Amino acid sequence: MSTYKLYYFNVRGRGEVARLIFAAADQKYEDIRYEREEWVSHKSEMPLGQMPVLEYNGVKLPQSAAINRFLANQFHLAGKDNFDQAKVDAVVDTINDMISKYRPIRMEQDEAKQKELTKTFLADELPKHLQNLEGLGKLYGSGGSFFVGNNLTWADLYFYDIAQHILELDENIFNNYPWLKENRQQVEKQPKIAEYLKNRPKTSH
Amino acid sequence: KNSIQTTLMPSYKLSYFNGRGVGEVSRLIFAAAGQKYEDVRYEVDQWPAYKAEMPLGQMPVLEVDGIKLPQSAAIARFLAKQFHLAGKDNFEQAKVDAVVDTIYDTYKAWAPSRFGEDPVKKEALSKKFFGEELPKQLQNLETLGKLYGNGGHFFVGNQLTWADLFFHTITETLLGINADCLNNFPWLKQNRAEVEKQPKIAEYLKNRSKTEL
Repeated sequence: MSTYKLYYFNVRGRGEVARLIFAAADQKYEDIRYEREEWVSHKSEMPLGQMPVLEYNGVKLPQSAAINRFLANQFHLAGKDNFDQAKVDAVVDTINDMISKYRPIRMEQDEAKQKELTKTFLADELPKHLQNLEGLGKLYGSGGSFFVGNNLTWADLYFYDIAQHILELDENIFNNYPWLKENRQQVEKQPKIAEYLKNRPKTSH
Repeated sequence: KNSIQTTLMPSYKLSYFNGRGVGEVSRLIFAAAGQKYEDVRYEVDQWPAYKAEMPLGQMPVLEVDGIKLPQSAAIARFLAKQFHLAGKDNFEQAKVDAVVDTIYDTYKAWAPSRFGEDPVKKEALSKKFFGEELPKQLQNLETLGKLYGNGGHFFVGNQLTWADLFFHTITETLLGINADCLNNFPWLKQNRAEVEKQPKIAEYLKNRSKTEL
Protein backbone atom coordinates (compact mmCIF):
# COMPACT_ATOMS: atom_id res chain seq x y z
CA MET A 1 0.00 0.00 0.00
CA SER A 2 1.64 3.26 -1.09
CA THR A 3 1.38 6.27 1.19
CA TYR A 4 0.92 9.83 -0.03
CA LYS A 5 1.43 13.03 1.97
CA LEU A 6 0.96 16.48 0.45
CA TYR A 7 2.58 19.43 2.26
CA TYR A 8 1.34 22.91 1.36
CA PHE A 9 -0.16 26.11 2.78
CA ASN A 10 -3.81 26.30 3.70
CA VAL A 11 -4.73 27.76 0.30
CA ARG A 12 -5.38 26.49 -3.24
CA GLY A 13 -2.40 28.18 -4.91
CA ARG A 14 0.08 25.69 -6.33
CA GLY A 15 -1.22 22.78 -4.30
CA GLU A 16 -4.83 22.49 -5.38
CA VAL A 17 -4.29 20.61 -8.64
CA ALA A 18 -2.72 17.74 -6.69
CA ARG A 19 -5.75 17.73 -4.37
CA LEU A 20 -8.08 17.66 -7.40
CA ILE A 21 -6.14 14.70 -8.85
CA PHE A 22 -6.38 12.79 -5.55
CA ALA A 23 -10.13 13.56 -5.49
CA ALA A 24 -10.70 12.45 -9.09
CA ALA A 25 -8.80 9.23 -8.34
CA ASP A 26 -10.58 8.74 -5.03
CA GLN A 27 -7.16 8.21 -3.46
CA LYS A 28 -6.57 8.66 0.28
CA TYR A 29 -3.71 10.97 1.25
CA GLU A 30 -2.58 13.13 4.16
CA ASP A 31 -3.52 16.73 3.25
CA ILE A 32 -1.06 18.67 5.43
CA ARG A 33 -1.75 22.42 5.46
CA TYR A 34 0.70 24.75 7.22
CA GLU A 35 -0.28 28.24 8.30
CA ARG A 36 2.43 30.83 7.53
CA GLU A 37 3.83 30.89 11.09
CA GLU A 38 3.99 27.08 11.29
CA TRP A 39 5.79 26.84 7.95
CA VAL A 40 8.90 28.63 9.22
CA SER A 41 9.80 25.70 11.47
CA HIS A 42 9.27 23.15 8.67
CA LYS A 43 11.07 24.93 5.81
CA SER A 44 14.37 23.11 6.36
CA GLU A 45 12.60 19.73 6.11
CA MET A 46 11.80 20.33 2.45
CA PRO A 47 14.38 19.61 -0.27
CA LEU A 48 14.27 23.13 -1.78
CA GLY A 49 12.86 24.96 1.24
CA GLN A 50 9.58 25.40 -0.64
CA MET A 51 6.13 23.85 -0.93
CA PRO A 52 4.19 22.04 -2.27
CA VAL A 53 6.07 18.85 -1.53
CA LEU A 54 4.76 15.34 -2.05
CA GLU A 55 6.01 12.60 0.22
CA TYR A 56 5.58 9.24 -1.52
CA ASN A 57 6.43 6.18 0.56
CA GLY A 58 8.64 8.39 2.72
CA VAL A 59 10.58 10.09 -0.10
CA LYS A 60 10.06 13.83 -0.69
CA LEU A 61 9.43 15.36 -4.12
CA PRO A 62 9.33 19.15 -4.70
CA GLN A 63 8.02 21.21 -7.68
CA SER A 64 4.27 21.34 -8.21
CA ALA A 65 4.32 20.32 -11.89
CA ALA A 66 6.46 17.25 -11.17
CA ILE A 67 4.13 16.33 -8.29
CA ASN A 68 0.98 16.79 -10.38
CA ARG A 69 2.31 14.81 -13.33
CA PHE A 70 3.47 11.96 -11.07
CA LEU A 71 0.08 11.69 -9.37
CA ALA A 72 -1.71 11.86 -12.73
CA ASN A 73 0.51 9.05 -14.03
CA GLN A 74 -0.16 6.96 -10.93
CA PHE A 75 -3.92 7.30 -11.30
CA HIS A 76 -4.27 7.14 -15.10
CA LEU A 77 -5.14 10.82 -15.53
CA ALA A 78 -2.08 11.71 -17.60
CA GLY A 79 -2.96 10.50 -21.11
CA LYS A 80 -3.16 7.00 -22.57
CA ASP A 81 0.29 6.79 -24.22
CA ASN A 82 3.52 8.80 -24.53
CA PHE A 83 2.19 11.08 -27.25
CA ASP A 84 -1.16 11.80 -25.53
CA GLN A 85 0.82 12.51 -22.36
CA ALA A 86 2.96 14.95 -24.38
CA LYS A 87 -0.18 16.73 -25.63
CA VAL A 88 -1.38 16.99 -22.00
CA ASP A 89 2.02 18.43 -21.04
CA ALA A 90 1.81 20.97 -23.88
CA VAL A 91 -1.61 22.15 -22.66
CA VAL A 92 -0.30 22.40 -19.09
CA ASP A 93 2.74 24.42 -20.22
CA THR A 94 0.43 26.77 -22.15
CA ILE A 95 -1.70 27.29 -19.03
CA ASN A 96 1.54 28.04 -17.16
CA ASP A 97 2.53 30.63 -19.78
CA MET A 98 -0.80 32.35 -19.12
CA ILE A 99 -0.64 32.33 -15.35
CA SER A 100 3.03 33.36 -15.25
CA LYS A 101 1.98 36.67 -16.81
CA TYR A 102 -0.66 37.15 -14.13
CA ARG A 103 1.26 36.21 -10.97
CA PRO A 104 3.47 39.36 -10.91
CA ILE A 105 0.31 41.46 -11.11
CA ARG A 106 -1.09 39.63 -8.10
CA MET A 107 2.11 40.46 -6.19
CA GLU A 108 1.88 44.22 -6.95
CA GLN A 109 1.40 46.09 -3.68
CA ASP A 110 0.26 49.46 -5.05
CA GLU A 111 -3.51 49.14 -5.53
CA ALA A 112 -3.77 51.72 -8.29
CA LYS A 113 -0.88 50.19 -10.21
CA GLN A 114 -2.37 46.71 -9.77
CA LYS A 115 -5.69 47.89 -11.22
CA GLU A 116 -3.88 49.32 -14.25
CA LEU A 117 -1.79 46.18 -14.78
CA THR A 118 -4.90 44.01 -14.48
CA LYS A 119 -6.67 46.08 -17.13
CA THR A 120 -3.74 45.68 -19.50
CA PHE A 121 -3.51 41.96 -18.78
CA LEU A 122 -7.19 41.41 -19.54
CA ALA A 123 -7.14 43.49 -22.72
CA ASP A 124 -3.75 42.71 -24.26
CA GLU A 125 -2.33 39.52 -22.76
CA LEU A 126 -5.09 37.13 -21.72
CA PRO A 127 -7.01 36.80 -25.02
CA LYS A 128 -4.11 35.26 -26.94
CA HIS A 129 -3.50 32.70 -24.19
CA LEU A 130 -7.17 31.68 -24.11
CA GLN A 131 -7.20 31.47 -27.90
CA ASN A 132 -4.09 29.28 -27.76
CA LEU A 133 -5.77 26.98 -25.23
CA GLU A 134 -8.96 26.69 -27.29
CA GLY A 135 -6.74 25.96 -30.27
CA LEU A 136 -5.00 23.09 -28.48
CA GLY A 137 -8.31 21.70 -27.19
CA LYS A 138 -9.67 21.60 -30.71
CA LEU A 139 -6.43 20.14 -32.11
CA TYR A 140 -6.00 17.38 -29.50
CA GLY A 141 -9.46 16.91 -28.01
CA SER A 142 -10.78 14.39 -30.59
CA GLY A 143 -13.91 16.49 -31.01
CA GLY A 144 -14.85 16.27 -27.33
CA SER A 145 -14.87 18.69 -24.41
CA PHE A 146 -11.67 17.56 -22.71
CA PHE A 147 -8.30 18.93 -23.78
CA VAL A 148 -6.81 15.61 -24.90
CA GLY A 149 -8.26 12.45 -26.35
CA ASN A 150 -11.84 12.56 -25.06
CA ASN A 151 -10.83 11.69 -21.49
CA LEU A 152 -10.42 13.71 -18.32
CA THR A 153 -6.73 14.40 -17.72
CA TRP A 154 -4.87 16.62 -15.28
CA ALA A 155 -4.73 19.30 -18.03
CA ASP A 156 -8.50 19.75 -17.54
CA LEU A 157 -8.13 19.83 -13.75
CA TYR A 158 -5.28 22.34 -14.02
CA PHE A 159 -7.24 24.62 -16.34
CA TYR A 160 -10.25 24.37 -14.04
CA ASP A 161 -8.18 25.48 -11.07
CA ILE A 162 -6.27 28.33 -12.79
CA ALA A 163 -9.44 29.61 -14.47
CA GLN A 164 -10.92 30.28 -11.04
CA HIS A 165 -8.28 33.00 -10.51
CA ILE A 166 -9.06 34.50 -13.93
CA LEU A 167 -12.79 34.51 -13.20
CA GLU A 168 -12.10 36.65 -10.13
CA LEU A 169 -10.80 39.32 -12.52
CA ASP A 170 -13.74 39.04 -14.94
CA GLU A 171 -16.57 36.65 -14.16
CA ASN A 172 -17.83 36.78 -17.75
CA ILE A 173 -14.50 36.07 -19.42
CA PHE A 174 -15.45 32.64 -20.76
CA ASN A 175 -18.57 33.89 -22.52
CA ASN A 176 -16.22 34.64 -25.41
CA TYR A 177 -14.61 31.21 -25.22
CA PRO A 178 -17.42 28.63 -25.43
CA TRP A 179 -15.10 25.64 -25.77
CA LEU A 180 -13.28 26.53 -22.54
CA LYS A 181 -16.58 27.23 -20.80
CA GLU A 182 -17.89 23.79 -21.75
CA ASN A 183 -14.59 22.17 -20.69
CA ARG A 184 -14.92 23.58 -17.16
CA GLN A 185 -18.53 22.49 -16.94
CA GLN A 186 -17.55 18.94 -17.90
CA VAL A 187 -14.93 18.92 -15.14
CA GLU A 188 -17.44 20.15 -12.55
CA LYS A 189 -19.89 17.43 -13.58
CA GLN A 190 -17.48 14.58 -12.75
CA PRO A 191 -19.10 13.07 -9.63
CA LYS A 192 -15.94 12.79 -7.52
CA ILE A 193 -14.89 16.33 -8.49
CA ALA A 194 -18.35 17.73 -7.77
CA GLU A 195 -18.24 16.09 -4.33
CA TYR A 196 -14.76 17.47 -3.62
CA LEU A 197 -15.64 21.01 -4.74
CA LYS A 198 -18.70 21.00 -2.52
CA ASN A 199 -16.74 20.02 0.59
CA ARG A 200 -13.29 21.56 0.23
CA PRO A 201 -12.18 24.37 2.57
CA LYS A 202 -12.92 27.86 1.26
CA THR A 203 -9.66 29.80 1.05
CA SER A 204 -8.70 33.27 -0.16
CA HIS A 205 -6.63 32.03 -3.13
CA LYS B 1 -6.10 10.45 -37.50
CA ASN B 2 -4.99 11.78 -34.20
CA SER B 3 -2.61 9.12 -32.89
CA ILE B 4 0.85 7.95 -33.86
CA GLN B 5 1.95 4.40 -34.43
CA THR B 6 4.55 3.81 -31.77
CA THR B 7 5.13 0.22 -32.81
CA LEU B 8 6.58 1.23 -36.18
CA MET B 9 9.37 3.80 -36.43
CA PRO B 10 7.73 7.25 -36.26
CA SER B 11 9.20 10.09 -38.28
CA TYR B 12 10.46 13.04 -36.24
CA LYS B 13 10.90 16.65 -37.35
CA LEU B 14 12.11 19.32 -34.92
CA SER B 15 11.65 22.98 -35.92
CA TYR B 16 13.54 25.66 -33.98
CA PHE B 17 15.91 28.59 -34.36
CA ASN B 18 19.51 28.09 -35.38
CA GLY B 19 20.75 28.07 -31.80
CA ARG B 20 20.59 26.01 -28.60
CA GLY B 21 18.07 27.82 -26.37
CA VAL B 22 15.29 25.55 -25.15
CA GLY B 23 15.42 23.36 -28.27
CA GLU B 24 18.90 21.94 -27.78
CA VAL B 25 17.93 19.49 -25.05
CA SER B 26 15.78 17.69 -27.64
CA ARG B 27 18.70 17.57 -30.10
CA LEU B 28 20.86 16.10 -27.31
CA ILE B 29 18.19 13.48 -26.60
CA PHE B 30 18.08 12.47 -30.29
CA ALA B 31 21.90 12.30 -30.25
CA ALA B 32 22.07 10.22 -27.07
CA ALA B 33 19.50 7.83 -28.55
CA GLY B 34 21.23 7.63 -31.91
CA GLN B 35 17.85 8.56 -33.47
CA LYS B 36 17.55 10.12 -36.92
CA TYR B 37 15.33 13.21 -37.26
CA GLU B 38 14.83 16.26 -39.45
CA ASP B 39 16.64 19.14 -37.70
CA VAL B 40 14.89 22.22 -39.16
CA ARG B 41 16.57 25.50 -38.19
CA TYR B 42 15.13 28.92 -39.01
CA GLU B 43 17.14 32.12 -38.90
CA VAL B 44 15.38 34.94 -37.04
CA ASP B 45 14.37 36.69 -40.29
CA GLN B 46 13.06 33.48 -41.90
CA TRP B 47 10.85 32.53 -38.95
CA PRO B 48 7.94 34.99 -39.43
CA ALA B 49 6.96 33.22 -42.67
CA TYR B 50 6.45 29.97 -40.77
CA LYS B 51 4.87 31.32 -37.58
CA ALA B 52 1.28 30.69 -38.66
CA GLU B 53 1.99 26.98 -39.26
CA MET B 54 2.81 26.38 -35.59
CA PRO B 55 0.04 25.58 -33.07
CA LEU B 56 0.96 28.46 -30.73
CA GLY B 57 2.92 30.59 -33.20
CA GLN B 58 6.09 29.61 -31.35
CA MET B 59 9.01 27.19 -31.55
CA PRO B 60 10.33 24.62 -30.82
CA VAL B 61 7.72 22.36 -32.40
CA LEU B 62 8.08 18.61 -32.81
CA GLU B 63 6.22 16.97 -35.64
CA VAL B 64 5.65 13.23 -35.14
CA ASP B 65 4.09 11.37 -38.07
CA GLY B 66 2.63 14.68 -39.20
CA ILE B 67 1.13 15.80 -35.86
CA LYS B 68 2.58 18.96 -34.32
CA LEU B 69 3.49 19.29 -30.64
CA PRO B 70 4.56 22.68 -29.16
CA GLN B 71 6.25 23.55 -25.82
CA SER B 72 9.92 22.68 -25.32
CA ALA B 73 9.48 20.72 -22.06
CA ALA B 74 6.61 18.61 -23.41
CA ILE B 75 8.69 17.82 -26.50
CA ALA B 76 11.83 16.91 -24.57
CA ARG B 77 9.96 14.78 -22.04
CA PHE B 78 8.15 12.90 -24.82
CA LEU B 79 11.40 12.17 -26.66
CA ALA B 80 13.12 11.16 -23.42
CA LYS B 81 10.31 8.69 -22.72
CA GLN B 82 10.42 7.32 -26.27
CA PHE B 83 14.17 6.63 -25.91
CA HIS B 84 14.31 5.55 -22.25
CA LEU B 85 16.09 8.67 -21.01
CA ALA B 86 13.26 9.83 -18.72
CA GLY B 87 13.68 7.67 -15.61
CA LYS B 88 12.87 3.99 -15.07
CA ASP B 89 9.45 4.29 -13.39
CA ASN B 90 6.82 6.95 -12.53
CA PHE B 91 8.58 8.15 -9.38
CA GLU B 92 12.03 8.34 -10.99
CA GLN B 93 10.46 10.27 -13.87
CA ALA B 94 8.97 12.61 -11.27
CA LYS B 95 12.42 13.17 -9.71
CA VAL B 96 13.78 13.94 -13.20
CA ASP B 97 10.88 16.38 -13.72
CA ALA B 98 11.65 18.09 -10.39
CA VAL B 99 15.28 18.61 -11.46
CA VAL B 100 14.17 19.88 -14.87
CA ASP B 101 11.68 22.31 -13.27
CA THR B 102 14.49 23.64 -11.07
CA ILE B 103 16.72 24.13 -14.13
CA TYR B 104 13.82 25.98 -15.83
CA ASP B 105 13.48 28.19 -12.72
CA THR B 106 17.17 29.06 -13.22
CA TYR B 107 16.68 29.79 -16.92
CA LYS B 108 13.66 32.01 -16.25
CA ALA B 109 15.55 33.91 -13.55
CA TRP B 110 18.36 34.57 -16.05
CA ALA B 111 16.27 35.58 -19.09
CA PRO B 112 15.43 39.23 -18.09
CA SER B 113 19.13 40.09 -17.86
CA ARG B 114 19.67 38.81 -21.38
CA PHE B 115 16.58 39.67 -23.37
CA GLY B 116 15.59 43.11 -22.05
CA GLU B 117 15.94 46.43 -23.91
CA ASP B 118 17.91 48.73 -21.56
CA PRO B 119 21.65 47.85 -21.44
CA VAL B 120 22.24 49.51 -18.04
CA LYS B 121 19.30 47.67 -16.53
CA LYS B 122 20.47 44.41 -18.14
CA GLU B 123 23.93 44.79 -16.60
CA ALA B 124 22.46 45.31 -13.12
CA LEU B 125 20.13 42.33 -13.54
CA SER B 126 23.00 40.16 -14.76
CA LYS B 127 25.13 41.07 -11.74
CA LYS B 128 22.26 40.23 -9.40
CA PHE B 129 21.58 36.96 -11.20
CA PHE B 130 25.17 35.69 -11.19
CA GLY B 131 25.85 37.03 -7.69
CA GLU B 132 22.71 35.99 -5.83
CA GLU B 133 20.10 34.05 -7.75
CA LEU B 134 22.26 31.57 -9.64
CA PRO B 135 24.23 30.31 -6.60
CA LYS B 136 20.90 29.65 -4.86
CA GLN B 137 19.56 27.66 -7.81
CA LEU B 138 22.83 25.74 -8.23
CA GLN B 139 22.74 24.86 -4.54
CA ASN B 140 19.19 23.54 -5.04
CA LEU B 141 20.33 21.46 -8.00
CA GLU B 142 23.25 19.96 -6.07
CA THR B 143 20.82 19.13 -3.27
CA LEU B 144 18.54 17.26 -5.66
CA GLY B 145 21.45 15.47 -7.32
CA LYS B 146 22.67 14.23 -3.95
CA LEU B 147 19.13 13.32 -2.85
CA TYR B 148 18.11 11.42 -6.00
CA GLY B 149 21.43 10.45 -7.61
CA ASN B 150 22.01 7.22 -5.65
CA GLY B 151 25.56 8.36 -4.88
CA GLY B 152 26.48 8.70 -8.55
CA HIS B 153 27.16 11.62 -10.86
CA PHE B 154 23.85 11.77 -12.69
CA PHE B 155 20.90 13.67 -11.25
CA VAL B 156 18.60 10.65 -10.88
CA GLY B 157 19.14 6.97 -10.29
CA ASN B 158 22.70 6.53 -11.48
CA GLN B 159 21.75 6.81 -15.16
CA LEU B 160 21.83 9.48 -17.81
CA THR B 161 18.43 11.19 -18.13
CA TRP B 162 17.25 14.29 -19.94
CA ALA B 163 17.73 16.24 -16.69
CA ASP B 164 21.50 15.84 -17.14
CA LEU B 165 21.27 16.84 -20.82
CA PHE B 166 19.15 19.91 -20.04
CA PHE B 167 21.52 21.00 -17.27
CA HIS B 168 24.45 20.67 -19.66
CA THR B 169 23.00 22.88 -22.37
CA ILE B 170 21.64 25.62 -20.09
CA THR B 171 24.92 25.88 -18.19
CA GLU B 172 26.82 25.96 -21.52
CA THR B 173 25.22 29.36 -22.07
CA LEU B 174 25.83 30.57 -18.50
CA LEU B 175 29.49 29.46 -18.60
CA GLY B 176 29.86 31.41 -21.83
CA ILE B 177 28.95 34.57 -19.94
CA ASN B 178 30.71 33.79 -16.66
CA ALA B 179 33.26 30.99 -16.92
CA ASP B 180 33.63 30.70 -13.12
CA CYS B 181 29.96 30.31 -12.22
CA LEU B 182 30.24 26.60 -11.37
CA ASN B 183 33.53 26.83 -9.43
CA ASN B 184 31.84 26.39 -6.05
CA PHE B 185 29.78 23.41 -7.24
CA PRO B 186 32.07 20.41 -7.81
CA TRP B 187 29.18 17.94 -8.02
CA LEU B 188 27.58 19.90 -10.83
CA LYS B 189 30.91 20.26 -12.63
CA GLN B 190 31.41 16.49 -12.42
CA ASN B 191 27.87 15.94 -13.70
CA ARG B 192 28.66 17.98 -16.84
CA ALA B 193 31.88 16.05 -17.33
CA GLU B 194 30.00 12.73 -17.15
CA VAL B 195 27.54 13.92 -19.80
CA GLU B 196 30.41 14.94 -22.09
CA LYS B 197 32.03 11.50 -21.67
CA GLN B 198 29.01 9.65 -23.13
CA PRO B 199 30.31 8.52 -26.55
CA LYS B 200 27.30 9.59 -28.63
CA ILE B 201 27.13 12.93 -26.80
CA ALA B 202 30.88 13.49 -27.19
CA GLU B 203 30.53 12.85 -30.92
CA TYR B 204 27.56 15.22 -31.20
CA LEU B 205 29.26 18.00 -29.19
CA LYS B 206 32.40 17.72 -31.32
CA ASN B 207 30.45 18.24 -34.52
CA ARG B 208 27.77 20.78 -33.59
CA SER B 209 28.15 24.41 -34.61
CA LYS B 210 28.98 26.80 -31.78
CA THR B 211 26.23 29.34 -31.03
CA GLU B 212 26.14 31.98 -28.30
CA LEU B 213 22.66 31.05 -27.13
